[in-house]
Parts: sequence; C-alpha cells; structure tokens
Amino acid sequence: MWIYEKKLQRPVKIAKADPAMAKIIITQLGGPDGELGASMRYLNQRYAMPNDKVKAALTDIGTEELGHMEMVASIVHQLTRNLSMSEIEKSGFAPYFVDHTVGIYPVDANGVPWNAATIQSTGDPIADLHEDMGAEQKARKTYDNILNLCDDPDVRDVIKFLREREIVHYQRFGESLEHILDGLNSKNYYAFNPAFIPKK
Amino acid sequence: MNEQKTLLSRIATCDFILTETALFLDTHPECEEALAFYEKHLGMKKKAEEEYTSKYGMLKHCDYKGQNTWQWTEGPWPWEYEEV
Repeated sequence: MWIYEKKLQRPVKIAKADPAMAKIIITQLGGPDGELGASMRYLNQRYAMPNDKVKAALTDIGTEELGHMEMVASIVHQLTRNLSMSEIEKSGFAPYFVDHTVGIYPVDANGVPWNAATIQSTGDPIADLHEDMGAEQKARKTYDNILNLCDDPDVRDVIKFLREREIVHYQRFGESLEHILDGLNSKNYYAFNPAFIPKK
Repeated sequence: MNEQKTLLSRIATCDFILTETALFLDTHPECEEALAFYEKHLGMKKKAEEEYTSKYGMLKHCDYKGQNTWQWTEGPWPWEYEEV
C-alpha cells in the first residue's frame, strides 16, 4: 500500500527555461536507466526474495525511486515553462512538442517511449540483485553525462543529489546480495536460484 | 481472528473509507458532510493505528518507537500467504 506525500524529496526550483536540456534530462524519467524503470524493477522483484532484509531494501529503494520520478518530471516541467514557438523550434524540442506539448511523458532522450523490456524480474534473487547493482551504476553514469552537458546550477544541484542516491542504492544492493549469498544452502556451490526448487 | 489481525483489518477498513472520501473531496472540496465524514474516520484510523503500532510494530518507517532493532525488516510481508 502506498500513500502520497505532497512534497518532493529535495526541492526543485529552476529559474531559467531550457527545452534542449529538458529533452536530455527526460531520459531519467522514461529512458533505459531512468527512475520509472528503477521503481518498476525493484517493486516487482520483491516477491521472489527469500530474505526479509532484502524485501525491505527493495521496497524502500523502489519507493524512493517513485519519488525520484517525480523530481525528474519536476525538472522537465520547470525547464519547459513559458516557451515561445521560436525557442521550441530552435532548441530541438519540436518533435516532443508536437506529440506532448509541454506535458510530461516518459521517453528517452531520443523520444523512444519507456519500455518494460528495459528491466528484468527473473525470479532469481542473485540474478536480480546483480541487475540492480548494474542498474544503479548505469543511472549514475547517465547523471554524470547530464552533469557534463549542463551548466545551470539550479539543475545541477538536483542532478547531483539524484546521482548520490544511485551510489547509496548500489551499496545497499551489494549488501543485499551478500545476505542472499550468506543464506545459500552449503550444497549450492554455484549459486543457482535459491528461490525456486521444483516440487517433486 | 486474533487481535493483531482484527486491528489491522480495522485500519484497512478506515483507510479505504478515507481513500474513497478523499477522492470525493477532490472534486467536492467544500462538501461539509464529506469533510465531517472524513474527520470521523480519520480519528478512528489514528486510534487503531496507535494501538497497533504500540503492540505489534511498524506499518511505516516513522512508526518506530525506540526499539533496539529495526523491526521493519521482520516478516511476514503483506504479499505472503499465511496459514490461518
């Protein structure tokens, strides 16, 4: 069960519109390493986990990612306020504009809509947690690339915060993986799926 | 049903009433009858939640009451099937 809190995890206040930057940053909403995929990945993987600590970590990180989705959407929203038609045309924002105006729609930086094929939920805790550690590194990489492309301190402040969260989540997933490995049956030398043993 | 389940079920009932009433209030924010109905069930929910969390532990992180372990991680989790 979820309850909405009417606040952002960290405030977003961007004074200057920049539709070209919006088009890049929106990938962290609907791109392959974005926050929508992150929350869907972790919240769906929880059910196969055999360890209560790992269920808690996936629940809490998946929930935090929902909040990050809202922060990225807020950045894009504020970067596309009060635009003139010439700003839209010159900035390369027109292809997004024609379909979505300045509404928020989850796409990557090339305009490709979010796709569940960018995530996995394998039913194998070891496979899933390795994916999750990779996912956090991939998201951190995207935030690094955004920081290389962006000079506006209002935007950079929020992006740096989100980048730090990827690093913390990576640490927690590493510990989660250790909890799963510690709980393996001593005969499971090769770390095969501990969450599914076919009924005889 | 044991007391823990009864309390949890009372909280869930109040929560659903609150959800349903909040949706109505979203489109009728000045309806006095709905506001009073919301307030009445909010009181019932808070009372049941206080009793539940002091006896059986956390429903959300901020229900923590100074225990010496982070009891949040203890199962069963809501999606797990339990023998009655």
